[in-house]
Amino acid sequence: MVNLNVNGRAVEVNAAPETPLLWALRDELKLKGTRYGCGAGMCGACTVHIDGQAAFACQMTIGDVGGSEITTIEGLSETGDHSVQQAWIAEQVPQCGYCQSGQIMRAAALLARNPRPSRQEIVDEMSANLCRCGTYPRIIRAIERAAQEG
Amino acid sequence: MTVDTIRPTRRGFLMGSGALSFALLASGAATILPAGAEAQPLPDGRVTAWVTITPDNRMTIMFGSAEMGQGVSTSLPMIVAEELDADWSTVASEQVSSDPEGVYGNPMAGGVLFAAGSSSVEGYFTYLRQAGAQARQILIQIAAAHWDVPAEEVTTHRSTVLHGPTGASMTYGEVAALPDPVWPSGEMPEAELKPRADWAIMGTDVERLDIPGKTTGAPVYSIDVELPDMVHAALLLPPVEGETPTLNSDAAARAVEGVVDVIVMDHAVAVLARSFPAALAGRDALDVGWTETSPFRMANSADELVALAEAADDMSADAVVWESRGSGPADFAAAGVVTGTYTTEHVYHAQMEPLNAVASVDADGMGAEIWLGTQSQTASILIAAAVLGTTPDRIRFHAMQMGGAFGRRTVFAREQMRDALLLSRASGRPVKVIWTREDDVKNGWLRPATVQRLDAVLDAEGYPTALRHRIASPSIFQFAMPDRWNPETRRDLLVMEGAESAEYAFGTFQAEHVLLPRQSRLSAWRGIGWAPNCFARECFLDELAGRAGTDPVSYRRRLLAGSPRALAVLDAAVEMSGFGTAPEGRAHGLAFAGYKKTLATGVAEVSVEDGQLRVHRFWAAIDPGMVVHPQAYRAQVEGGILFGLSSVLRERSTFTAGQIDQSNFYDYEPVRIADIPEIEVRFVESGEPPSGGGEIGVPMTAPAISNALRRLTGEGSTRLPFPAQQA
Repeated sequence: MVNLNVNGRAVEVNAAPETPLLWALRDELKLKGTRYGCGAGMCGACTVHIDGQAAFACQMTIGDVGGSEITTIEGLSETGDHSVQQAWIAEQVPQCGYCQSGQIMRAAALLARNPRPSRQEIVDEMSANLCRCGTYPRIIRAIERAAQEG
Repeated sequence: MTVDTIRPTRRGFLMGSGALSFALLASGAATILPAGAEAQPLPDGRVTAWVTITPDNRMTIMFGSAEMGQGVSTSLPMIVAEELDADWSTVASEQVSSDPEGVYGNPMAGGVLFAAGSSSVEGYFTYLRQAGAQARQILIQIAAAHWDVPAEEVTTHRSTVLHGPTGASMTYGEVAALPDPVWPSGEMPEAELKPRADWAIMGTDVERLDIPGKTTGAPVYSIDVELPDMVHAALLLPPVEGETPTLNSDAAARAVEGVVDVIVMDHAVAVLARSFPAALAGRDALDVGWTETSPFRMANSADELVALAEAADDMSADAVVWESRGSGPADFAAAGVVTGTYTTEHVYHAQMEPLNAVASVDADGMGAEIWLGTQSQTASILIAAAVLGTTPDRIRFHAMQMGGAFGRRTVFAREQMRDALLLSRASGRPVKVIWTREDDVKNGWLRPATVQRLDAVLDAEGYPTALRHRIASPSIFQFAMPDRWNPETRRDLLVMEGAESAEYAFGTFQAEHVLLPRQSRLSAWRGIGWAPNCFARECFLDELAGRAGTDPVSYRRRLLAGSPRALAVLDAAVEMSGFGTAPEGRAHGLAFAGYKKTLATGVAEVSVEDGQLRVHRFWAAIDPGMVVHPQAYRAQVEGGILFGLSSVLRERSTFTAGQIDQSNFYDYEPVRIADIPEIEVRFVESGEPPSGGGEIGVPMTAPAISNALRRLTGEGSTRLPFPAQQA
């Protein structure tokens, strides 16, 4: 049993401390928006916020993050209206959608830290996340939009 | 396509929801399922019909092609809604999971549920317009009967029926709530459908219906499905195709906390556990031996490339003629014949959602409920029935939206679904099978390597009077769709399509396929044959243009002079890119490429800095006939261009002694955001019926980049991926 703080709530997870955070979120806490893509920290489909910083949920255990504030896509906003989510709709970013939770979480963490990122800063940050459908041009536009309108 | 008539027992389905539903029968006739006294709960919550309208004036439109990111959950309903004169803001859409009545299949795919080859909008276009038009006629006739006026006087506008002479009007929802059943039918001639100029929904950039959910993590893919009592399965798969396991010991695996069972299968050893991490830990603890007798132990991708090159050059090797035009055989052994050889290596799909399936087999072992992401619901249901030795009516199938597919989910074998079924039957519990990314990479069904040799006999000005396009490759079709392979004709459209060069006037022309035995599992990959085949041809044509001392645009203009559509996209791409006016240190390259009826020209702007190829900009002019949903089509083209770029820069699967050498995204890395160019897409509509956009971005991209590199450095790439020093 491990105690976690997820999306502003204290929760108990009935799993061993060495359980990857990704699978605890998905299968124990039923927060399915955090996706499994590679399990190797290479694709970013599992990106969540740990104390506000973008992090790969597949690369940490629940024992690692017991004292941290964990935010998943489900907790990014109450009603799906975070400026990044709104920009993602305005720019019609997603195709298959599978990587997009992770893309949005990384973009939101970037803008929280750097509200007016340059094009190069956006590209540098978002290079951690893969999108096989090729939504990258729209991801850049959406982040620029969120920075302007957010 | 044959269809059963709608059974009367279904009339009651919609009544329970107070809704109207319309089904388009294969004859083109429509049937109405009216609200009435026979109220019944919806069986499985489903209705076999295209359109459902509820009294609150909301409507749900069904779509047959599976959503894998290409946007069919919006674009197909747009087609119905257009002819229905619907208020688009009232429309929701719903995926079709199965089609026992044969109503929902794609006419272009033999009437089955099969989403592949950019065929959805093209295949369904007329059929769905007729469905929408007939639904509209039904609403008009119900309203006319209710008002007791001639139906000819009733019109529609944005989900409202109107009677001009009396000023009466009702919303479609109000019509749907009327009690009187009406049973009109009859053909809806294509000539009575709306012309392009009257489109109000098609051709506009409505927002995709699936996008809001995809910004909140809400979508449910098959990997997200959970059932009571479900267990997670990790499979220890054979190191080499076809080998069988011997279980030495599962004691350590069974000792892992959470492991429920270890099941030895013919082709794998499965660990079932209460969580996926526990299943993986159990798998790691297995002690398993393998037969190590697979003939694929002899398979090496490097050797295969050598064998393909030898076969391409060996004119005594048996070749299947794919396409032949012109006036008889040409002498390709004569002096002055120009030859070019191009090589494309194996590539892997890398869809972001690792392959998986969920199955719950019935207690009698002769039926099941299945959740699967698949490009063909029809084929998957048939496969499932065959696995269980049962009939398709015992398969309750849920077609889930897919986290990408790109051809990997078309193949007529679905290993994860098969294994979920077998394990559920063996364990008596619902089972979710997930392949890890490593499983997915190492058991990929690859696009095969090709070696392509082009020979041209040239006239005095350097233009071909004869051209031969000879492709050495194993057959995808024979392996991936064996039931449909014709061993007599050996025509493999998955390898050969795109080699026709149909728009070019080459004089005598022949495309031919030298088939070698496969050395790996194979399937189609986005762009299918068109991507490697257009790469070879378009690079070769730039070589020929250079030899002729002619620029690549006017060289192609002369060869494409018989195709106004081809010239239009060529000229548009030249104009939008300012072809040939690249900034200092950069160069432009161009390629003309088609995908079936869609034509395109791409222009790449590249530089090489510190030995690194960089694609700065890419312009694409596309003729898709007409565009149903421009912004989604544009997204498909952008994605296709980035797929093509990825095949240029890094993508390569290799195998040694039958084992794929790569493991995960650290050694098989698709393009990242830092790699991408600025992309500009322009539509050049010819007014032909709509043709697909899923593949068209891919074929033009690699040759345009290679041709740009050639103009910059004097040497293009004859290989995909480009050699490392260039890429």
